[in-house]
Amino acid sequence: MDATPYRTLFVAESRENHENLVKNLLLLEECSDDAAIDEIFRSAHTLKGMSASMGFAEMERLCHSMEDVFQLLRTGQLAPAPRLIDVLLACTDRIEEMIDDIESGGDSSGISSVSLVRDLREVAEGEADDGDPAQESCEEYVVTVTLDPACSMQDVRAMLILQNLEELGEIRSVVPAVEAIEEGTFAGTFTVALGTDAGRDAVRSAVSHSEVVGVAFRGDGEHGPAPEAGPSSDEISPRTEKSREVKNLRVDIHRLDQMMNLVEDLVINGGRLKQVAKKYQIKEMDEALAMVSRSVSDLQNLTMHIRMIPLNQIFNRFPRVVRDVAHHDGKEVNFTMEGGETELDRSVMDGLSDPLLHLIRNAVNHGIETPDERIAAGKPAKGNVVLTAWREQGTVVIELADDGAGIDREKVLGKAIEKDLISPEYAETLKDEEIVNFLFAPGFSTAAEVTDISGRGVGLDVVKSTIESLNGSIRVETRPGDGTRFRLILPPTMAIVEVMMVRINRKRCAIPISAVVEVASADPKNVHRIGDSEAILLRDEVLQIYTLEEMFGRSDLLDIVVVVQYQGRKCCIPVDAVEGQQEVVVKPVGHVIGSCRGVGGVTIPGDGDVVPILDVNTMI
Amino acid sequence: MGRILIVDDTMFMRTLVKNILFSGGHDVVGEAEDGVQAVEMYQKLKPDLVTMDVVMPRMNGIEALKSIRAADPKARVIMCTAVGQEQMVKLAIKNGAKGYIVKPFQAPKVVEEVNNVLNP
Repeated sequence: MDATPYRTLFVAESRENHENLVKNLLLLEECSDDAAIDEIFRSAHTLKGMSASMGFAEMERLCHSMEDVFQLLRTGQLAPAPRLIDVLLACTDRIEEMIDDIESGGDSSGISSVSLVRDLREVAEGEADDGDPAQESCEEYVVTVTLDPACSMQDVRAMLILQNLEELGEIRSVVPAVEAIEEGTFAGTFTVALGTDAGRDAVRSAVSHSEVVGVAFRGDGEHGPAPEAGPSSDEISPRTEKSREVKNLRVDIHRLDQMMNLVEDLVINGGRLKQVAKKYQIKEMDEALAMVSRSVSDLQNLTMHIRMIPLNQIFNRFPRVVRDVAHHDGKEVNFTMEGGETELDRSVMDGLSDPLLHLIRNAVNHGIETPDERIAAGKPAKGNVVLTAWREQGTVVIELADDGAGIDREKVLGKAIEKDLISPEYAETLKDEEIVNFLFAPGFSTAAEVTDISGRGVGLDVVKSTIESLNGSIRVETRPGDGTRFRLILPPTMAIVEVMMVRINRKRCAIPISAVVEVASADPKNVHRIGDSEAILLRDEVLQIYTLEEMFGRSDLLDIVVVVQYQGRKCCIPVDAVEGQQEVVVKPVGHVIGSCRGVGGVTIPGDGDVVPILDVNTMI
Repeated sequence: MGRILIVDDTMFMRTLVKNILFSGGHDVVGEAEDGVQAVEMYQKLKPDLVTMDVVMPRMNGIEALKSIRAADPKARVIMCTAVGQEQMVKLAIKNGAKGYIVKPFQAPKVVEEVNNVLNP
């Protein structure tokens, strides 16, 4: 395993566990305390598991031996004598050295634990807990199962297999006895007599597993050797006191959210203060406020940054996906990823995984051609899919490029005409970049057949709407024969959006700038009634009017309209006035109010007013 | 592809298991830090499968397994275990655990066990 990405986390959590171990050992020295023993056991156990996972064998061995001793303490087979505590504390010192070594890039292998392990064994000697192997013979058996000698916890695997068999019918006998298997005293082979009407194949499939190396109908069981014991010696290293910096700290995500909320309040009230100051025009106060707002803005950036996690958290799974899809389709694909260290807010990251997965599957499934087709087109047999991420002017850009066949203009047009999205005459006038946009139309798919890899009824339209719900955008470029490039542009966080502040019936309202197409002056002459609703003719385009009177009350004014757009559908909202454009902190509408259609959240600008932020996609 | 809930008291182990499961094409829908949280999250998320650590604060893996299985007898739980914990794991199996994986985790084994339990 490549241990590097986990090393920091490993060191941080190991230190916590180490400290816990020492603290509770000292507690135990004072008085025998069951809770302390449990804590010690848990810490030693955790340390063992973590070091084993990282391949730090020396540390694992030491922790394992300690755990054995703690188990004896826990069951009361061993008392916490001073000599024992001495040895255990010496062990924790050694563990600390190992963690230090690991932190500075080592693997703890240079720090031997042999003598300490011997000491531990010596102290715990006489408390051996090996039961005697039991074998029972019985008169009837059907299937003999041999487990892989490399299988860990053979007895547990055996129990699971027995459980599977039990679901098939009645187990008449097991050799060695079920009790013996449960006690762990068997050596990898067991024989079961089973009464069932499920048939031989069902029995075979119930026992088959990658850790089963042999299945023989009508056979024999056998037994293995007992564990070894070790010699002892005496050596406890003197404790060397070292000072150490705390470099990592784990914080509950809820506390971070709370902190974020407080910072937002600070920003809001800072804005309020600024407005008040504007009224009184005191120079010193303005200066002081400018300093404060700088600190507040730094604080806000820092808090945002703490919530960021690297894209690698979702990127890591993609190589495997590409491999599987390529394998399934008989394609050869070289997949590269760059910029996985680019960070995004957790809220954005959570929604990003599925759309990206879909695009990547698409790229391999529809984009890259088969090796034969590629060679025929004069390209290398192996296709390339490249996933790149980077930061650009306050946004995060994720690009997925393939060097496949590209999107076939004619095929897309054909489909668009077939789906009645456009007329054949109109199709002639479309530009290439307009044509690819049809891919994002609901229910649109150019693949002749829906495959089980990428076309599952979920199309690019879902990808697009998911990205848009994250306040992001998606673009596609394609060159026939050269490949396709999807570009996702995302805000690094969803907590702050850029909005246009408007007034409707004198009340303030914010419209996300990403949804705004234009602001136009309206001529009442161009307003027409269509059925129940009104529409306006704006430069040869008919736009439905949303008056939002349910929200804000009826306004008779109609001279300015804001044209908004979602997924290519436009409409317009009449407003009294446009106050300007600004970045605001979004506060979600609480559970108390419940879901409120058309409102994506609220924001509180400088004057303390609560302003709804329109959620254009649920409106249209 | 299964929706999986990971239960372990260390972020290290959760991250490790999560990455292994991702690489196996599974979805991790939640992560719980102890048994109490595991039981709550199971109710809420209804995952296809749970990977359950044994030794945890507040409520250990066996108790959590029992609670989860009591509420949903079809619950599929895989125990995350280490050499030396045989007795606990056996207890878990008797209480309805469907599989087990042994630390140090080997990615192919973990994925295989998860797939086996999801598609028996």
